[in-house]
Amino acid sequence: MKDNTTILIIITWVVLLSAVSILLNDIREFDFNQFKAFQNWAKSADSNESWLTSKNAIQWSYYIISAALFFWRAYLIYGFSYFLSILKEIDSGNYFSDTNIKYFKKIGDIFIQYTVSVLILRFLLALIGESTFNFFNELKAEFTFLIPAGLAFYILAEIFKRGKQAEEDNELTI
Amino acid sequence: MPILVNLDVMLARRKMKSNELAEIVGITTANLSILKTGKAKAIRFSTLEAICEALDCQPADILEYVKD
Repeated sequence: MKDNTTILIIITWVVLLSAVSILLNDIREFDFNQFKAFQNWAKSADSNESWLTSKNAIQWSYYIISAALFFWRAYLIYGFSYFLSILKEIDSGNYFSDTNIKYFKKIGDIFIQYTVSVLILRFLLALIGESTFNFFNELKAEFTFLIPAGLAFYILAEIFKRGKQAEEDNELTI
Repeated sequence: MPILVNLDVMLARRKMKSNELAEIVGITTANLSILKTGKAKAIRFSTLEAICEALDCQPADILEYVKD
């Protein structure tokens, strides 16, 4: 069991680090391109146009929403880092601890929050970009699998709650 | 709990110490004190058997039902 936990910890670290590096790389590329475009807008902006409907404002909101997508990706990685905390607990022999139950719930929360917010942000992006947004097509995207995954973590939290009770009963049986 | 564990009485009658009993029965002193203080939720038949054998008594000598 101990060996398995060590292997899992190593795998989790590898996945976490690669996810972080991919995210950082994406942010770097994104910032660079957007900044160039902004300079051009500043030159071509029509000062007589009202601020809200101006092309500049629309582009800004596009930019902000894209940045928010990065934020949610970072949030998902943060949620994933809870796996490490759970593995650490298991490593120290506390299988059915309160902290594990809490972490499972948190991971479930984060997965579902991520999926819902990314769906909303994609919808907003489509709205601004005037492209077609098909809700069912979006639901087919890979990231929506995180909703059942989040639910699975809620179920795990419930099972662990029962496990903790059973463990306590077992400890008080002499 | 309405079930009382009168292990202290039986130990005094047999002039035996807690840690001696724990050693004979094969449980830790910590578990024996859980049993004596009434914190235990259950007792295994095997433990009960070992205690009865060590103290040469019946389960009724150790356990007592008192209505709440």
